[in-house]
Amino acid sequence: MLKKRIITVLTFLDGTLFRTKNFKADYRYTKNFIDLVKVDEIVLIDISENKFQKSFLDIVDYYVKNCFVPLSIGGGISDMDKANLFFDKGADKIVVSSILYKNQKLLERISKKYGRQSIIVGLDCKKKINDYSVICKSGTSNINKSPIEIAKKIYNIGCGEILINNIDNDGSLLGYDLELIKKISSNVNCPIIALGGAGNWQHLLDLFNISNISGACTQNIFHFTDESINSAKKFLQSHKIAIRE
Amino acid sequence: MIGLVNIGIGNYNSLISALKKINVTFKICEVANDFENVDKIIIPGVGAFGEFIEKLKTRKIDKVIKDSFAKNIPILGICVGMQIMFSKSYEQGNHNGLDIISGNFRSLNTLTKDIIVPHVGWNDCKILKKTELFYGIKNYSDFYFNHSYFLDKFENQDLIASTNYGKKIPSILQKKKLYTVQFHPEKSQVNGLKLLKNFIERC
Repeated sequence: MLKKRIITVLTFLDGTLFRTKNFKADYRYTKNFIDLVKVDEIVLIDISENKFQKSFLDIVDYYVKNCFVPLSIGGGISDMDKANLFFDKGADKIVVSSILYKNQKLLERISKKYGRQSIIVGLDCKKKINDYSVICKSGTSNINKSPIEIAKKIYNIGCGEILINNIDNDGSLLGYDLELIKKISSNVNCPIIALGGAGNWQHLLDLFNISNISGACTQNIFHFTDESINSAKKFLQSHKIAIRE
Repeated sequence: MIGLVNIGIGNYNSLISALKKINVTFKICEVANDFENVDKIIIPGVGAFGEFIEKLKTRKIDKVIKDSFAKNIPILGICVGMQIMFSKSYEQGNHNGLDIISGNFRSLNTLTKDIIVPHVGWNDCKILKKTELFYGIKNYSDFYFNHSYFLDKFENQDLIASTNYGKKIPSILQKKKLYTVQFHPEKSQVNGLKLLKNFIERC
């Protein structure tokens, strides 16, 4: 039986690990905190203005050498060379922006070379009065399209997973935006992973109780240590969620 | 000497890290000539079937693999590196594989209704036939999977382990000294590293 995943998302600004809040670097950490054994998967995102700096690429090399769980890498992938670079370095998957719905050819080319399961599309959303809108470029550009419309488009072009993030919940520790996640997951048939808002283990459980959700991403440092990931997993197991031990 | 195949589209860097972690010496094989003195072959895979097989042919590695199989040289195929050993795949068209072991890959979409594709994440392997690959590894251990196509029309005698994803799908197959795994041992933590070590030391 397929297990639900606990995914650690790490964001880097100019090569330094930060937690983010409302998409801005909020609190600085060191990568030595990260438990590389119990976590099910790791995602590295470059949130620097200048992408592909040596400082971030060195971080990528560090994780490729030291982590033996799946590694996804994202930040600034706008052409095939950049996608190739991360795969060549050892990425199992890449995270691309949902803005690539406009660049169907690129998504298709990546899919043709690496398979659609190698592509995670990051879908950053912001709440409007009655609906949501998709946000791009690290939260700075509102493309005024509904997340469902974009999710369906990128799913049809070809992606492996969709990473949903509600910017307003980012770093809030108030729980995932279940309403948004439900809306999107009932419209596409690929794995959905969710980011933004996990503050305690109950939030993870609430998320997994929505059918279809494959993974819960956490970005808070207190969720990264060996002991805390273990305790999260025990809590979820005691509530009958299938989890890797 | 272990030969690690790199044709420019696999995740061979992850394999390099894994092999270093378990203290194995190996050489990277990029073209047919690199396989001199190689007595064990690992073919990693992140990639699409068609592109992968094309690259193998351009570099004439397809023939090396077939010859090695005939000479009973142990081969480990991982994910797409597994898939290309079989007869055929319907990924993005219709592609012939090396046909060393029989079976066709078709889309998981055809497996069950409302199935979520790709099959991504940690899933367990049920061992059906004893294998040296699983030496010291508990039955039903979790490994990391990430694929959109599954093996159909295979020979039952080749099946070593299966995995439940709505329905049973084959996850490990073996024919003589050819070992194939659908999951990624290099990304499956302790169990995965153990499996790689078993391949190197016991197969």
